[in-house]
Amino acid sequence: MKFKRLLALFMALGLVASACGSSETDDGAAGESESSATTEATAEEETTTTAAPAEAEEPAAEIATDFGVTDDTIKVGLNADLSGPFASLVAEIVEGQTVYWEVVNANGGIAGRQVEMVVLDSGYATDKGIENYLTLAAESDEGVAMISENTGSPITAAIAEDAKDDDILVIPLSWASLWADPDIGPNILEKGTNYCIESMNGISFLADLVTENGDTPKLAILSRPGEYGADGFAGAALAAELLDIEVVYAAEGEVAGDDRTAVVTQLVNSGANIVWTTLTPGETADIFGNAVAQGFEAQWSGNQPSFNYLAHLGGDLAESFDQYWWQSGYTVPWNGNDSEGMQDLVAAFTELRPDNNLSDVYAIGWMEGLMVQTVLEQAAANGDMTRAGIVAASQEVTVDFKGLGPNQSWAGSYNDSVVRESYMFDADATAFDIQPVSSGTGSTGLFIEKGPFVSEIVADYVFDGPCI
Amino acid sequence: MIDVLLLAQESTGFFPTFLQTLIKGLALGSIYAVMGIGFVIVFKGTQVLNFAAGGIAMAGALFMSILVNDAGLPFLPFSNPLAPEIGTTPSIPRWLINLVLALIIAAILGMVLERIAIRPMIGQPLFSMAVITLGIETALGPFNRDATSLTARSLQIPWGLEQWEFLGAGIPKSYVGAMVAAVLCFLSINLFFRSRFGVAMRAVAFDQEAAQAQGINVGRVFSIAWGLGAALVAVGAIFYGMGPFPPQGTVSQEIHPVLAFRVLPVIILGGLDSIPGALYGGLLIASAEVFAGQYLAQWTSVLGAGYSTIVPYIVMLIVLLVRPYGLFGSEEIRRV
Repeated sequence: MKFKRLLALFMALGLVASACGSSETDDGAAGESESSATTEATAEEETTTTAAPAEAEEPAAEIATDFGVTDDTIKVGLNADLSGPFASLVAEIVEGQTVYWEVVNANGGIAGRQVEMVVLDSGYATDKGIENYLTLAAESDEGVAMISENTGSPITAAIAEDAKDDDILVIPLSWASLWADPDIGPNILEKGTNYCIESMNGISFLADLVTENGDTPKLAILSRPGEYGADGFAGAALAAELLDIEVVYAAEGEVAGDDRTAVVTQLVNSGANIVWTTLTPGETADIFGNAVAQGFEAQWSGNQPSFNYLAHLGGDLAESFDQYWWQSGYTVPWNGNDSEGMQDLVAAFTELRPDNNLSDVYAIGWMEGLMVQTVLEQAAANGDMTRAGIVAASQEVTVDFKGLGPNQSWAGSYNDSVVRESYMFDADATAFDIQPVSSGTGSTGLFIEKGPFVSEIVADYVFDGPCI
Repeated sequence: MIDVLLLAQESTGFFPTFLQTLIKGLALGSIYAVMGIGFVIVFKGTQVLNFAAGGIAMAGALFMSILVNDAGLPFLPFSNPLAPEIGTTPSIPRWLINLVLALIIAAILGMVLERIAIRPMIGQPLFSMAVITLGIETALGPFNRDATSLTARSLQIPWGLEQWEFLGAGIPKSYVGAMVAAVLCFLSINLFFRSRFGVAMRAVAFDQEAAQAQGINVGRVFSIAWGLGAALVAVGAIFYGMGPFPPQGTVSQEIHPVLAFRVLPVIILGGLDSIPGALYGGLLIASAEVFAGQYLAQWTSVLGAGYSTIVPYIVMLIVLLVRPYGLFGSEEIRRV
């Protein structure tokens, strides 16, 4: 009977594991911030003033600093998923930011100071992410000036309140529409188009395609549980309402667990000719693959994290993705245009990381670097590189992404500050060919079909707060 | 709502839909059965439920991926002469040869793990040994995650997503492949149990001390059980990696780690020490899961997202209420 008891315990574990499906859940993020501690000391109490080095670009006569900034160094922190479900993407995004700082430092740094990255691995676990945050936000020599990357909605939601209390700026690696809302995260400096607006632009694009072919758009929306799924779904539902498109199947938060037969069955039987997904790449491949295998034909697209060119254009489903899938996104693919930003990025990687394989997501890390540099330079110009000064500077700047994505500023109301542009990419399996950067050849198989563009429904819409 | 669904199914054909569902159930059942037999072999040989099966299974699938994708071999300084040219899909014979190689490597992994972590525990409480297997599962996790997280790990399935048309239904070749693999595994294991080693394993399962007194090398039996068990769960993981199963031709960081947990109801249902039980249990559980997913889909809003993954546990609980030792398990008789 000992085994029966033991098995009962592990049956329960198995049940939980199966029901939860993947570990990529966004569940339970909100409200978790209460578990992390904050300190009572204020930044002002420990503020010091140091003279700016002579080589700084137009330095203020004196620059106030507190944590993470010394006479010769500025420390920025990354709370990154380097061992969890998004590790493959995040490792390359971190690499993008690393190379960016190597270039900046080689050119004299910011305000005469070298930028030093402090990278901590969260594994996409909220408790570990909070622990990392507390390390990075420590009001001591160990602390950083700002957090230049914080992976994931759950961890960002968990630390948002603390970031406000600690008066430290955080750039999330998450595109939830929550972050532009000052009530949720005044210190969370969102970047790029949020999932909600991305869904609206994407569905407008797909609807135009179907209409041009003489058909009436019929939409199916598939989303997973959590903030990510909810935000993408909300945008899709809003687009359907504004465009007067019939939603023939709405699987809101229903893509959960490992067996998606029910979702595929209902999708195939729905009569949809447009499908919008807010899923993980694995979920997308499963549902897309099974639906296509059953003869289901539609125009597919989804929020950017739904798709992974390595898995989808490098796998057995490549031809089908080529035929039916349009990828949505916020940044230009590798070598996707001739912009100044892309030329800088490619040149830097060719020189500093010639053996790395090309990747579309280096640009995200590079853009994080551009954001941080712009904000820090503004803070230096203001003569205040304290954490509070950096937060204040973020509200004064417009970041020029030099053609890698739409420029962005954060001042004004929610409606004023959200980014409305996104891209649609054509997935070309025949072009997919991952090569080392130094080869000067190869492609991720994604090419700009349209963008940056703003659909009519997004241009006209007044966003008075997050979509969820 | 039901009428709408039935009408929709009618448009694709009720019978083809039913046939497709049946084949999918049998294919998934074949995978559950093969992995279930992997559990049963270890249990029969060592009386330990192997909670490390999930990690070993995924490692086996990774070995296969490495063999068919990379010129090199894991932990070895020379290249794999049977590897297909990089960037090309292997022929079926070449893929099958690499499959056998991957299973041999998985078996060696199982035997090594047994020698390092289980053999020293002979004679210790079974609970401790079971916990050790949990530790192995945890230790294999980072290896599996690291190997899958940095690059997509394709299994280079030669037939990809190809399918046959049969009576209006699409029958994926991968499903048929899984069923063929299960039949071969089942026959091989039956033959094994008729061999000298098989008889020794049955004797050890019956009474370790008595078997040792009869001159049976219990350590070797343990080793063989773990080797065979590892190879069988690896077969399941590799065939489950084929599209249109969820990993869609890859080793999935999301799905493969929890696959073994899904097999636990199968062996509980069939009986922990019964190979036919694992076979029938696998087919029954998988059919229940797949048919529920297909034909209860319209009630998702009531049943909850992912409800079909709960079905195996419901079936298991119902059966255990009637037959506490499973469908084919040996009843424990105790003197009181």
